[in-house]
Amino acid sequence: MSRIRLGASAVALSCVILGGVSAPALAEQSGRINVALGAESTTMDPARYSAGVDQYYVGTMFEMLLKPMPDGTIANWLAESWSIDETNPDKPIIDVHIRPGVTFHNGDPLTAADFEFSYQRQSDPNVSRWSHYQSNVERFEIVDDLHFRLHFKQPDSSYVANYLQLWAMPKDYFQEVGDEAFGRHPIGTGPWKFVSRRVKEELLLEAHDDYWNEEHRPEAKELRIRIIPEDLTRVAALQTGEVDWIDAVPPAMLEDIKSLDGIATATMPAGNHLFLDMDTIPEGPLQNVKVRQAIAHGVDMDAIIESVLFGQGQRYAQVAEGATGYNPDLEPYDYDPAKAMQLLAEAGYPQGFDIDCYNLITPREPNIKEMGEAMFAYLGTIGVRCKVVNMEYGAWINLGRRDEQTEQLNGGLISWMWGQGVPGDPAIAWGGHLHSYEPGKGWGSYSHVDDPEFDRMIEDAAKIMEPEARTAALREIGARKHELVLGGLTTYQPLVTMAWNDAKVSYTPWPYPGFWRNFQEIGLKSAD
Amino acid sequence: MTQFVLRRVLQGLFSILGASLIIFVITRLSGDPVVLMLPPEAPEALVQQMRERLGLHLPVWQQYLVFLGDALTGDFGTSYRWDMPVRDLIFERLPATIYLASAALAFSLVLSIPFGVISAVRRGSWFDRFAKTVAMLGQAMPNFWVGLLLILVFSIHLEWMPAFGADTPAHVIMPAIALGWYPVAAQTRIVRSAMLDVLESDYIRMGRSVGVPEGVLVWKYAFRNAAVPLVTMMGVYFASMLGGAFVVEVVFAWPGLGRTVVEALFARDFPVVQAGVLFAAIMFVIANLLVDLSYGLIDPRIRHDR
Amino acid sequence: MTAETTRLPDHGIGAQLRSLFGDGFPWISAGILVGVILLAMVGPMVSPWQPGALDLRSAFQPPVWAGGAWSHPLGTDNLGRDIFSRIIAGTRVSVIVAFWAILLSGAIGTIIGMIAGYFGGWADTIIMRLVDMQLSIPPLALALILAAVLDPGLQAVVIVITVTYWSWYARIVRGEVLSLREREYVALARIAGCGPLTIFARHLAPNIVNTLLVLATLQVGQVIIFEASLSFLGLGIQSPDISWGVMLADARGYITNAWWAITMPGVAIMLTCLASNLFGDWLRDVLDPKRKQL
Repeated sequence: MSRIRLGASAVALSCVILGGVSAPALAEQSGRINVALGAESTTMDPARYSAGVDQYYVGTMFEMLLKPMPDGTIANWLAESWSIDETNPDKPIIDVHIRPGVTFHNGDPLTAADFEFSYQRQSDPNVSRWSHYQSNVERFEIVDDLHFRLHFKQPDSSYVANYLQLWAMPKDYFQEVGDEAFGRHPIGTGPWKFVSRRVKEELLLEAHDDYWNEEHRPEAKELRIRIIPEDLTRVAALQTGEVDWIDAVPPAMLEDIKSLDGIATATMPAGNHLFLDMDTIPEGPLQNVKVRQAIAHGVDMDAIIESVLFGQGQRYAQVAEGATGYNPDLEPYDYDPAKAMQLLAEAGYPQGFDIDCYNLITPREPNIKEMGEAMFAYLGTIGVRCKVVNMEYGAWINLGRRDEQTEQLNGGLISWMWGQGVPGDPAIAWGGHLHSYEPGKGWGSYSHVDDPEFDRMIEDAAKIMEPEARTAALREIGARKHELVLGGLTTYQPLVTMAWNDAKVSYTPWPYPGFWRNFQEIGLKSAD
Repeated sequence: MTQFVLRRVLQGLFSILGASLIIFVITRLSGDPVVLMLPPEAPEALVQQMRERLGLHLPVWQQYLVFLGDALTGDFGTSYRWDMPVRDLIFERLPATIYLASAALAFSLVLSIPFGVISAVRRGSWFDRFAKTVAMLGQAMPNFWVGLLLILVFSIHLEWMPAFGADTPAHVIMPAIALGWYPVAAQTRIVRSAMLDVLESDYIRMGRSVGVPEGVLVWKYAFRNAAVPLVTMMGVYFASMLGGAFVVEVVFAWPGLGRTVVEALFARDFPVVQAGVLFAAIMFVIANLLVDLSYGLIDPRIRHDR
Repeated sequence: MTAETTRLPDHGIGAQLRSLFGDGFPWISAGILVGVILLAMVGPMVSPWQPGALDLRSAFQPPVWAGGAWSHPLGTDNLGRDIFSRIIAGTRVSVIVAFWAILLSGAIGTIIGMIAGYFGGWADTIIMRLVDMQLSIPPLALALILAAVLDPGLQAVVIVITVTYWSWYARIVRGEVLSLREREYVALARIAGCGPLTIFARHLAPNIVNTLLVLATLQVGQVIIFEASLSFLGLGIQSPDISWGVMLADARGYITNAWWAITMPGVAIMLTCLASNLFGDWLRDVLDPKRKQL
């Protein structure tokens, strides 16, 4: 499904892309492009990365070893080549050769020492909020300036799935200016270099003249990223020509935007995955698989997506197409209220039952509150009578968290979400909400499932680094999860639409939401 | 006099101290921010480590003392959400809020002064009734709703005015109207009743009898005296504008203190909430202090040393 | 307050009630207020639709005079819910919040204000410092952080408003009591050996009833707006419970698609506040003609 969507938008864009191709790859960079994003980065320092939105900004200036390309393949980016040495299967080694000739914005060459430095910062919990991602690395070994090895304590499949995790950060520059100054004036290897920033207002960038990748580079001299959180204003800024490119067109305004002359759009699934989670820990109706299947058949997701999200959502079954572990044999449950009521009757609830339903409200996802209200209203028609409780983000995440100190779900339903990334990988998410809760070990922090079979399957999969074997293992988990409707009924992935002034800007959308806003390939069409 | 000023300043400081304690304790009770800061799959040990690094494992009173000590040196900590010092976040936003509150106050005066003066002079006229209706409407409508209606009519339908942000001088017009309409009723009433008193006074009558033109009499002599009670209340109105700005800023995406605090509240960004509300309280106290002190300066008949 | 005549304790509201319905009685305001209270009580019986019932196929229907149908006289919202029925459901929340918040803040403020005013000394100092302290935080800011702590909902809203407004009553009641306690009859009662409770009940309370009544009436509008503001920011009433503020907060997301959804609940707020303010003004003129500054 996601591939189809991408295909469709690619067709719609083909004229744009062809138009852009006419400019030679090494044309002189000139002019300024103005873009507007809806959300602001929390940081300019990749090691202090805390939210998905940070990738949009940090990714313009900084780069990683691997990168997903417009065609969906993963390319060696700052890595010239890399391999996994599994001579000792319990303690694998990742061996990386760095691409020669890459320079930071200040002219320093990129070396293995920079990655070692990056590893140190990213594994320091005082700096990074994701330090546990580095916890399986035992040792960083520098072989020579352009060659290093990561020695693992134990296999860690997510390390590979996350593009080898490490950001290229300039060790010498950082140590010269210090932590705070680095955050105020960051330097990376990316296509854009930092000029100035006004928090929550704008980020001004300039093309990096010595950028190493001559095939994929922006063709404008300057890029001004404005932060305009209000949907109406952002759209209006595009309409009036104040900016040339915007992200996150609100669903309700999509039709208006598409009908405008000279505006091109592209729509893609965002990294977030929404599902209706069910608490199966305490005694209650949700412990019965037939009840869970009845709920799956009892919600007309397509109708809700169409009317509440104006079509800006895409259904998925456990794993989105294109992600690791995607299984084409799985289809989302169809809407079949008769079957749902029959399943409820078979489960011993011919008159239905009352249940607490917790609904997330947050501005982070368009119309998520209304989506939940509509789903719970549908459940009422098959006899699953929801007592709906709306919760803002902070209260919601505490309720879902398995922790003795906070309130628990008590056998209720809760609308939940977990980014699997795009291109995605469900393993980390499943470890958090499908594996049973094991305090102190990081498993099942938000899980309302207690199933030893899943625990075993998930723990095994986490150790398989070889991509094909891993895909097979994840598919097996997904199929079982789908049938038992455990770890949540998967509902939809929000779609995101960006729009730009087609007459002025040539723009190649990189397919994954984190990367489109990095403006790897954008330029001005000549005015005459 | 000096003694009175000193006493009021001390009282003000005491109020701010108390307010900071109230704010601090309440924000601490609002839940654990650490789970919002770390990715969901982060192991418990890491969560605990983060708590300790932020000092959240200490008893609340100790946390308060640490906060107070730092605050006195101008250090309000680092935002939990934004990778930057709270001081920068707040100080960057403060001027926008003061600007908006001033514009709103100016708007309310532009309405209430002519309303009050003319209604007093032409008591019972159609203008008196018109002014009263406009003023009462302002008091009956939530400021955020006024804001939404203005956006609906002037930004969406007529496309005359910018709806959100603070980029140009025109941006302040609609938020200032939304915020400044509410106090018009109270201000008009004060001006009107003060004018009525003054117009009855002997020296105005005398002026009238010696043939001073009515316009000069009303605006130059009468209004100048009638303005005293309004001026003394100015700080109170300014302070209430600051409070109201919390909602209006959200409606108009105004980059001020109020919106920053509301956003921080939802993100459990304690340091920003604390500092933001504390700064609002400080401005509030200063405004009220100025009111009290201005009584003596503007109208020497009021004596402080009772 | 200058040349105040001594009001006799028995010269309370009763005597004045007789002349109430004469000239100048605000019939329209009173009618709206009574209507709102009635709707709050019988709402579910007259409401044409279930206020929470979704109907995705009839979303965004305009009001009847703008091309809509009589089935939804004020139109529908983004989930096809009937706005008229939701406004009726919202009156209930407004009335409940106003009633409890005013009762509680009034009662607490009055008692504390009486204590401060009557006993004076350190009790007065402590109470007034507390009042100052609280008044130094902008009311909405205090309400925001408080609402974030409490379990959001109707109860929290009542608590937040009570906490915000008690000091208002306390200050005014204290002022009144301060001036009353030096009156001869109070002094006489004290000499005659009446305890503080008797003096409160027999001599002080009857004299401040009028003030309290005016204050409370004028507070109705403020409380309704306060609740709407809290709910609008997402810290007040939580859907699926319905209040006018919640409706406005929801409607803000699709302001370009349905002007009526953002207009109608606000009109309900405006009419109710206008009515209670006008009624309060009239009451103040009738009960307490000397003091127009309340």
